[in-house]
Amino acid sequence: MSQSTGSAGVKRREFLKVLGAAGAVTTSIGCSQEKVEKLIPYLVSPDQTVPGVSTYYSTTCRECATGCGVVAEVRDGRAVKLEGNPEHPVNHGALCARGQAGLQGLYNPDRYRQPMVREGGKLVPTTWDKALPLLSQKIGEVRSAGRATNVVFVDQHASGSFGVFLDSWLGAFGFPAHHQYDSDADLAVRAANTIAYGVAMPTLDFAAAQLVISIGADFLDGRGAGVPHQLSFADARAKLQNGPRFVYVGPRRSLTGLNADVWIACKPGSEDVIAKALLGAVGGAGGASIKDAADASGVTEATLQGLADELKNARPSLVLSGVSTPNAGVVATIVANINKATGSVGITVKPAEPMGGFTGAVGAEQMDAVSRAAAAGTVSLLFVRGANPAYDTPKSMKFAESMAKVPFKVSFTSYPDETSELCDLVLPDDHALESWGDAEATLGMISLQQPVMERIFDTKATADVLLKVAQGDPSAASKFPWKSYRDYLSSRFPGGTASFTQALTAGIASGSVASRDAGAAKITLPSETPAAIAGDGDYFLMVYPHAVLGTGAAANKPWLQELPDPVSKICWQSWVEVHPATARKLGVVAGDHITVRTAAGTVTAPAFVYLGIRQDTVAIALGQGHTAYGRYAKDIGVNALDALGGTWNGSGAVAYTQSRASISKAGAFSPLVTTEGSARQHGRGIAQALTVTDLVAGRLKEEKHHLPGDASHEFLPGLRSPLAADAQGDLADSTAKEQGMYDPKHWSGMAKRRWAMTIDLARCTGCSACVTACYAENNIPTVGARWQGRSLRPGSATDEGAWDTRPGANILKGREMSWLRIERYFEGGEDGSTDFEARFVPMMCQHCGNAPCEPVCPVYATYHSPDGLNVQVYNRCVGTRYCSNGCPYKVRYFNWHGFGEPERRQYAFPEPLHLQLNPDVTVRGKGVMEKCTFCVQRIREAENLAKLENRELKPDEFTTACAQACPSKAIVFGDAADESWSVAKLAEDARAYHVFEELNTFTAVVYLKRVNHTTAVGGAPAATPVSAAVPTAEGAR
Amino acid sequence: MASFVEPRRSNIASADVQLPGVTDYEQVDNEIIATLSPTKGWFGALAVAIALFLMGAAAWIYQIYWGLGNAGYAPPVMWGVYIITFVFWVGIGHAGTLISAILFLFRAGFRTTIYRCAEAMTVFAVMTAGLFPIIHIGRPWKFFWLIPYPNWRLLWPNFKSPLVWDVFAISTYLTVSSTFLYVGLIPDIAVLRDRETNPTRKRILAILSLGWRNSEPEWRHFMKMYLFLAAFSTPLVLSVHSVVSFDFAMALTPGWHATIFPPYFVAGAIFSGIGMVFTIIIPIRKFFKLQHYVTINHLDAAAKLCLVTSQVVGCAYIIEFFIAWYSGNAVEQDYFWNRVFGEWWWAAWIMLTCNMILPLSLFSQKLRRNASWLFILSIFINIGMWFERFVIIVPSLSHEFEPWQWGGYVPSWVDMAILAGSFGWFFMWFLLFIKQLPVVAIAEVKEIVPPRLRSHARGKGLDAAGHHRDYGTETPGEFD
Repeated sequence: MSQSTGSAGVKRREFLKVLGAAGAVTTSIGCSQEKVEKLIPYLVSPDQTVPGVSTYYSTTCRECATGCGVVAEVRDGRAVKLEGNPEHPVNHGALCARGQAGLQGLYNPDRYRQPMVREGGKLVPTTWDKALPLLSQKIGEVRSAGRATNVVFVDQHASGSFGVFLDSWLGAFGFPAHHQYDSDADLAVRAANTIAYGVAMPTLDFAAAQLVISIGADFLDGRGAGVPHQLSFADARAKLQNGPRFVYVGPRRSLTGLNADVWIACKPGSEDVIAKALLGAVGGAGGASIKDAADASGVTEATLQGLADELKNARPSLVLSGVSTPNAGVVATIVANINKATGSVGITVKPAEPMGGFTGAVGAEQMDAVSRAAAAGTVSLLFVRGANPAYDTPKSMKFAESMAKVPFKVSFTSYPDETSELCDLVLPDDHALESWGDAEATLGMISLQQPVMERIFDTKATADVLLKVAQGDPSAASKFPWKSYRDYLSSRFPGGTASFTQALTAGIASGSVASRDAGAAKITLPSETPAAIAGDGDYFLMVYPHAVLGTGAAANKPWLQELPDPVSKICWQSWVEVHPATARKLGVVAGDHITVRTAAGTVTAPAFVYLGIRQDTVAIALGQGHTAYGRYAKDIGVNALDALGGTWNGSGAVAYTQSRASISKAGAFSPLVTTEGSARQHGRGIAQALTVTDLVAGRLKEEKHHLPGDASHEFLPGLRSPLAADAQGDLADSTAKEQGMYDPKHWSGMAKRRWAMTIDLARCTGCSACVTACYAENNIPTVGARWQGRSLRPGSATDEGAWDTRPGANILKGREMSWLRIERYFEGGEDGSTDFEARFVPMMCQHCGNAPCEPVCPVYATYHSPDGLNVQVYNRCVGTRYCSNGCPYKVRYFNWHGFGEPERRQYAFPEPLHLQLNPDVTVRGKGVMEKCTFCVQRIREAENLAKLENRELKPDEFTTACAQACPSKAIVFGDAADESWSVAKLAEDARAYHVFEELNTFTAVVYLKRVNHTTAVGGAPAATPVSAAVPTAEGAR
Repeated sequence: MASFVEPRRSNIASADVQLPGVTDYEQVDNEIIATLSPTKGWFGALAVAIALFLMGAAAWIYQIYWGLGNAGYAPPVMWGVYIITFVFWVGIGHAGTLISAILFLFRAGFRTTIYRCAEAMTVFAVMTAGLFPIIHIGRPWKFFWLIPYPNWRLLWPNFKSPLVWDVFAISTYLTVSSTFLYVGLIPDIAVLRDRETNPTRKRILAILSLGWRNSEPEWRHFMKMYLFLAAFSTPLVLSVHSVVSFDFAMALTPGWHATIFPPYFVAGAIFSGIGMVFTIIIPIRKFFKLQHYVTINHLDAAAKLCLVTSQVVGCAYIIEFFIAWYSGNAVEQDYFWNRVFGEWWWAAWIMLTCNMILPLSLFSQKLRRNASWLFILSIFINIGMWFERFVIIVPSLSHEFEPWQWGGYVPSWVDMAILAGSFGWFFMWFLLFIKQLPVVAIAEVKEIVPPRLRSHARGKGLDAAGHHRDYGTETPGEFD
């Protein structure tokens, strides 16, 4: 009908219009399908923030009670790394694995992202505008009903002013003071110390001692003040022949026990008699005879007599207790008396310099009281913050069931743990790295906690929430004039707000935090109860806090789940430790399920056959078996508390060794998720050790490890090749005119350096903090979570049956990615005796001067840098994996799945964990090799800085992440070609050796032999010398 | 059979091979060309092969998408089924070249009727093998980085790496063996061309035959070319598998780092290839009714070659153990002990049984001349040689220097699907080949058949009317 053309069809112009419009729409749709992402989080950058340049904030670690100082590295508004604060008097720059993993608490993908309220039986998201009035309303209801005194507030124990603040808040509403609950606390020891020394946790000086006896005190297993004690212990061991001999007394060899020179395997519950015998030997009152002790403990009289003699000869000495039997307090008291009797107080035990974070905690006994009150219906309102009593109290206490009877339960916890999931209102707290706080880590020193970054979720600091609630209440408002908790802290700070602000830079200041009345904590003199290990059964059940996961609070952090337990080397799993003889008797092999049955309940877990446990004892670690607490913790392993009843250790904590048990083979089998291949060195000299006698006599070689027919050892000690003996061979060819970058005279100056590392095995305790530091620094993916397994049959990403969803499935296939691993080898004890030695070897890329991996790579993805690094170029790697086959150290790791690819099922950094990734390090894609780089990004950063400042690198100016974190200071990194670096001197140490040096790899990692104190203090060689390496041809694994 | 009444000691593996069942050229043409007609059985076999291939291809796509983690690799065992299968197929290829080139130079007459089959097997085996390094690597889409090609980054592959040598060895081998196969086919293609009635096919065959007119100068040039290519291929038989063995011998790994590897691998390759020749030729001979071409004598001769290579391989095994003991190297000793008596005993004993013990049966002439037994044995040899590579690769890697990193290995469904897929791929090509081109060399067989004489033709090949008689299958393959 168109008039202009007479045609009914589309006109040319209209066609062009439609075409143009359609084209534009298509184009714009095409563009908008890509998700728009911000490259830089700021539109207008805050002052002092330069994109790509890190800012550092001093704050305080809140992962345990110690209160170590940390420096948080913040890049573009995101905390990316936690390192110890070198100026901090407690940890001197070191930080344990748990502390470093605080970041994964901050970025935990399962954190509550906003307030939650229970509606229709389920917790559903709400807003603060609705949640806070609800809280005020409930508080008002309780008060108007006259039940204010029935309010219970359970807070996670931590040092600092918050406890006082909280009590004043509770007081303002007429509520009773709160409970500072800590399931991880060694309350009996703290109580005994308080009574004996006047302080809960005196500083220990291991280096001053000639003899250290630990009666179940696991100071290297993260118990008590972990980092400071480990630092002191390592310093003591570094004194070599002048250092202390270390004897461990206990039914199970913990990590601390494995670091001991001698293990005296006593019966559980007999520690008090042994302690008494030692007390008697040093002339203390109330001692027992050696014979009584031998009868009670199952240890020979000669051994105990030897120990007693050593204690008499050793001046000064240090005796520690840490048993967890019902009479733990008795043992701790006797031990304190031994130290007094030997005159060691003030020398090795320093009550004048107490640790600050160890007062005021209560244990599960108090939670039992709360539970009983709740069951009786007398709790009107329950607050819980951080603590998780529904999980970490014995099941027989029925905390969760009792809690259900409380009319209204409020949680301030950030994580969906077992307790929070039972609450009616969740007001998630800021993480410690997002909020203000303080701690008194040692007496008279405030360690400040400050937010290092903007909060990532819609959370609020509990203290600020409480302030707001109080200010909204007419009766309480006047008592809370502060705008925020920061104001509260700065107003109380010595010197006021100005000095508070000033102190934040260093993070430490002298002064004291507000402390609660000591009466709040239960300190009772332990009574003379006998060791009552109750129950029937042929075995003692020993439950102990996991060396990494503690009592379970750390279980939701993938770095810590993936970190192999330093003793068993098992991760993502629970296990039952049994002695080989016991395993034979039961007919079980490693991985066979064992049922442990006590009067309180049963626990079933796979067996770990372990030399370091008595034949009449089985042991299970705590920390696993969560039924909530997020994707990384839920449904992994078993909770050993299920088999424990409500027996307290005299100071209110659960007596973890309280019961006998019967054990039986359960029939099922699960392979152990372990990183251990063979626990024996097979005489290959990977972990070498010397006895003090040999060291003093100058007999430095452990002859037995040499492989017949190997190369000469004449070049030792020290680095044989200070300049890179480059695998490409340019230097090797003396006729070559062009030596390129490998020419020491090359203008780049690179070839004059030889980056190298020394690892002092005398210092290393195997704690594995370096491993976590490496994960954090180098964006190493964790691979053990349920969804990261491989395909079992064809199927889509969401088809769960098609995938191996066992926890640790990748690790069962040996696919862990830890660039740095701690190998734990046993020497001796093949006959099942207690006389065996454990040797820990941190093993990472050795940066060989003559690297077997380099010539085999077809594409030069791995090659030698002129400054001695064995470099891996991810972009060039095609993934032939030939380099790994060539590597004798097996330190190369392959990306089997898209661990770094968000669209893949196996993605290792679910949002917002990816915010932690180090921007200086590539996240590797699937199909490429990776390995330790000697933190090349740190080397280049330091070199660039030096160049910008127009100067040479200063000796020891920087170090790698592992060396930085090491709480034993065992790892030293630097330029071995320059005499002024520490590493160059250490590499010349008489104890130095290279692993597999007979392969002529010219490694850049130099190990210093461990030194064993096999000779009794002040006496003849001990009755139980530790065996040297015995070459065996057995194929045992 | 009556021929066994008196013991027979004549040397069959000689140039003096005769085909008593074949009387004249036309019979050769007719019978061989008759094998090119597709049958139901052939379609069925092809369908199975293609299905297997597609399954393997699908598994590979799945693996590329989800990562190599879906294969069974368990570090430190970083090489697994794919490299095992790679070496397996490369090895298979070697017998073909040995038979077609080396035995040609040595004038071993028994090669005549089996060499085409063996040569085609070589080409397809190398085509199969060449896929596996690509399947094996982490980023297969970057495999071309192993090839030296000019690029603006001025990056070259690392010529020190045995894997780069592999690239050259395999590509050279594929080029030379396919050229050799093709050149040998030219006179036969010309025969097909002449007999083809379909104009399209005739045109294609005409092009492929390069205008072969059967003239004397053509034959002279052809024979020179053939001789040259045979001489050219001969060193490849030795070098290619030596290079493959360097993949292992150049690494420090105990169990790999041995100077015996090149000869050991070459012998193993020829052994496995002859095994595969039996696996292929015996059914072809039966289903294509070619027993009077591929006679029992030929099989007997090939079986002797098989026996010799089996002995060489067995000797290499024993020397490996001896050197492990003699070297005094505890790591090496530990590994070899573990290989035979440790966790991998079953794999090692499969290898020793199939490759060393069972072939001893070939000392018996009766068994050498029993096609069924040869077929069964060839299956064992194939299995045994696959396990030989398994034993070399997996136990060595799983039991290296660092005891803390000792591990195990179990292949996954992806590994197995791709392994099966490789057989599908190989047989797909082979089945397509045998229906397109003659599986027995027509021209070379004619060289053996006595020239057509009047009396001869009258007496045997043709009936009185000048037509061919029916060719019975009951034609003995013995000397008379």
